Amino acid sequence: MTTETRTRTEELTINMGPQHPSTHGVLRLVVTLDGERVVQVIPDIGYLHSSMEKIAERLTYQQYLPYADRYDYLNAMGNELAYVMAVEKLLGIEPTPRCQFIRVMMAEMNRIASHLVYFATLGNDVGAVSVFLYCFREREAILDLFEAASGQRLLYHYLRIGGLRNDLPDDFCAGLGHFLSYFPSRIDEYDKLLTKNRIFRSRMEGVGHFSAEDALSYGVTGPCLRGCGTDYDIRRADPYCVYPQLDFTVPTFEECDAMARHLVRQEEMRQSVRILQQCLEMLPEGDVSVKVPRRIKPDPGEAYARVESPRGELGCYIVSDGSEKPYRLHWRAPSFYNLQAYPVMCKDAWVADLVAILGSVDIVLGDVDR
Amino acid sequence: MSLLSQISNWLRLTAEGLCQRWGIPLLFVDLLAWMVAVAVIIGLVLLIVLIFVYLERKVSGYIQTRLGPMRVGPIGIFQTAMDALKLLIKEDIVPRGADKILHTLGPILFFVAAMLGYVVIPWDDKAIIAKYVDLNIGILYVTAVGSVGIIGIIMGGWGSNNKWSLLGAIRSAAQMISYEVPMLLAIICVVMQAESMSLGRIVTGQQGAYLSGWYCWRPWLWLPLILFFIAATAEVNRVPFDIPEAESELVAGYHTEYSGMKFALFFLAEYANVFVVGLIGATLFFGGWLSPLGHPDPLHIPGFFWLMAKAFAIVIFLMWIRWTLPRLRVDQLMALAWKLLLPAGFLAIFIVAVVLLYI
Amino acid sequence: MRLSFLNAERRTLMPVHRSRREPTVAELLLIILEGAWSIVVGLYVTFINFWRTKVTDRYPHRDPALNWQPRPGYRGDFALITDRETGKLRCIGCQQCQNICPDGCILVVPEGKGKERHPKEFYIDAGLCMYCGLCVEVCPADALTMTPDYETATDDPRKLVRDIDYLRERGMEYDEVLRVQ
Ligand code: SF4
Ligand code: SF4
Repeated sequence: MTTETRTRTEELTINMGPQHPSTHGVLRLVVTLDGERVVQVIPDIGYLHSSMEKIAERLTYQQYLPYADRYDYLNAMGNELAYVMAVEKLLGIEPTPRCQFIRVMMAEMNRIASHLVYFATLGNDVGAVSVFLYCFREREAILDLFEAASGQRLLYHYLRIGGLRNDLPDDFCAGLGHFLSYFPSRIDEYDKLLTKNRIFRSRMEGVGHFSAEDALSYGVTGPCLRGCGTDYDIRRADPYCVYPQLDFTVPTFEECDAMARHLVRQEEMRQSVRILQQCLEMLPEGDVSVKVPRRIKPDPGEAYARVESPRGELGCYIVSDGSEKPYRLHWRAPSFYNLQAYPVMCKDAWVADLVAILGSVDIVLGDVDR
Repeated sequence: MSLLSQISNWLRLTAEGLCQRWGIPLLFVDLLAWMVAVAVIIGLVLLIVLIFVYLERKVSGYIQTRLGPMRVGPIGIFQTAMDALKLLIKEDIVPRGADKILHTLGPILFFVAAMLGYVVIPWDDKAIIAKYVDLNIGILYVTAVGSVGIIGIIMGGWGSNNKWSLLGAIRSAAQMISYEVPMLLAIICVVMQAESMSLGRIVTGQQGAYLSGWYCWRPWLWLPLILFFIAATAEVNRVPFDIPEAESELVAGYHTEYSGMKFALFFLAEYANVFVVGLIGATLFFGGWLSPLGHPDPLHIPGFFWLMAKAFAIVIFLMWIRWTLPRLRVDQLMALAWKLLLPAGFLAIFIVAVVLLYI
Repeated sequence: MRLSFLNAERRTLMPVHRSRREPTVAELLLIILEGAWSIVVGLYVTFINFWRTKVTDRYPHRDPALNWQPRPGYRGDFALITDRETGKLRCIGCQQCQNICPDGCILVVPEGKGKERHPKEFYIDAGLCMYCGLCVEVCPADALTMTPDYETATDDPRKLVRDIDYLRERGMEYDEVLRVQ
């Protein structure tokens, strides 16, 4: 007599989020698992939807500016920059050189701050908790500078149409210079602690692979695209503000995996430091604001301005019907496009890879859901 | 004669005297002695764990350029005690659809298993506990009761009716079973060297001038030393091997659905287990209760103190590791155990055997 | 000699420069050594940080000697400034702040005509406000300002609605600070 044992296996569907600790906010992932392997992952977005685009239609151009901060909250200055540039295009205003430099400085500082948050959360996701605190320590220094300049720590509302809220305070440049003097050594520290770590590398290398063709067809931009070896950076491809005058490189890595994306961001922080140093040297004197009418009424038309946000190509598209309020405003949100590619990256991943890959895509839910 | 055994002897004599006067069989004295011993162990372990948790918070805080707990008591020393108290009075939630019996039994079993390990630790030369139970298979016993804990984890994970818990429990079981093997291989090396499985004998085998007799100074035992610590860290689910409760992946692993006292049991037992690793590590490789100042200790510091000091040093080193490293992925973890540590373990045994035979 | 067993199902356990082939024994030893070294370096980094100055801000138990204040220009709670000479609020009740506020959290009820115009009621719902500062910027009389007061937490959301008396008091309280700015 023979006995036959049959093992029946089933796929397991689990719900990751929206309250999961490492979905970076309120992202919900519906994950189908075969053991510990991922069969399918479907991101379910919209938990942080806040009608950012619709709100613009009932507010005047000035009034909407503080909302621009709130949409990708880790890159408030960058958002303001995109919005302000779009409105200025509509109005045909050219800001003063000093203003341009300060805007670039703010955007780059914000890029560093945002990448630091990325480092921190990624470290946390893969289990290296100390990196989290170190990165926030450095970010705090940047936020202090932002507070000195704009009076707020996260949602600055510092840029204005045609200029800035106020000129930089006197001690700002010295403070920034001090920060820049020690920050590169801190990057080296993260490099030693996290990036070079064998365990971290084995967690990141070869994980979340997706090709440059995929990236381009999904509209992925930013470090995710540059991690696929494609040299595309708005600061170079469609220069704005004073970027053409600045000397910096756009780091790219060919490996197409999570590690490549990580290295791109690490290198970008160094480049941002370089840019900031040059800005400090070249910062011209003069006014920071040009005169704009109190009531902003652009001629009917449309304008699209794009900047390189820490997450990719951030675009702001405005249609004006000649009234005080935008007829339509649209954000091209980099996180949203990058998240689309996430299921592709997660093909054949392990459960543990899910969070590492999500960390390496570096989404901000405010940016995804708007 | 150490103070501890003096007290215990005095207590015992008094108790026996009382028994004779009241006509109670002497068996009761033995029973009583056992109960006292158990109470002392549990109390001691809980105290150690509280200190340990506080220390971990402080060390992690300092490593992360924070201050750690500062609010309750001077520099926050009562923080963990208060947290334990808070957990005690918290509501105990059993999720809907959970297997109530398993859900309750899981943490208890895990806790008991963790406590059992402490029974055979040779705290001191003639300390009461060691006198009662210096098992001749002490080290085997420790590893054996260590594995009983897995059942508690699986019970908890399965009984919680939560997929994350289940995943965590399965991971935990797989991990603990895998790492048991290299750990035992490493221990076998020490057993070969000491020619005994009794922890007491292993310690006395390390006697020598000052700390020269400790096994950690013998080059052929270095590989087992490293193996032991890697495997033991994995056994007790600490970073970089904390995948069963990787909070960024599995929420909280097998204790996701636990609250109140049951959670506290898991939590305490986990830390108790880590401390066992420190104690066993100190016993196997760092001379246990032997004083580094010479034997017998010229300053009459009890061996208990030295054992504790060594164990805490090891545990602090484990904390340091924990707050530095990221965690491995589950397949890498398994690959590490079976493909690297296991062959290395056999190699270690081979080396030790050759050395012991021919040198 | 190839160690094919090091392949963890799909990817190598420890990929050598991310190549897909299995490492040789020599490479494997190198990887292990390099890995151990990277861990030692990591431990060193955490060790230095152990001794670095601690950054914890022990709010609300700050060292009073430090006398911590937000940077000048901080956008905190609101205040209405009283004119020193006349002893009246500077506000002329023009309602421009009410109109510009994107959240609509200001309500000004003016009274009187021409030079006599002043606010009868003035409400700001600080719970609704997003501290953008537009109202302050737009004010033609420099009457409305924001103080560096950041401790606005309360247990009752109704307390967050600032009325005219509260705002006047605040203005008095922060008179010196604001004037310096
Ligand atoms: S700060 Fe902004 S939101 Fe607040 S009351 Fe003034 S205008 Fe309104
Ligand atoms: S506070 Fe300023 S803007 Fe508001 S009503 Fe008074 S004067 Fe006008």
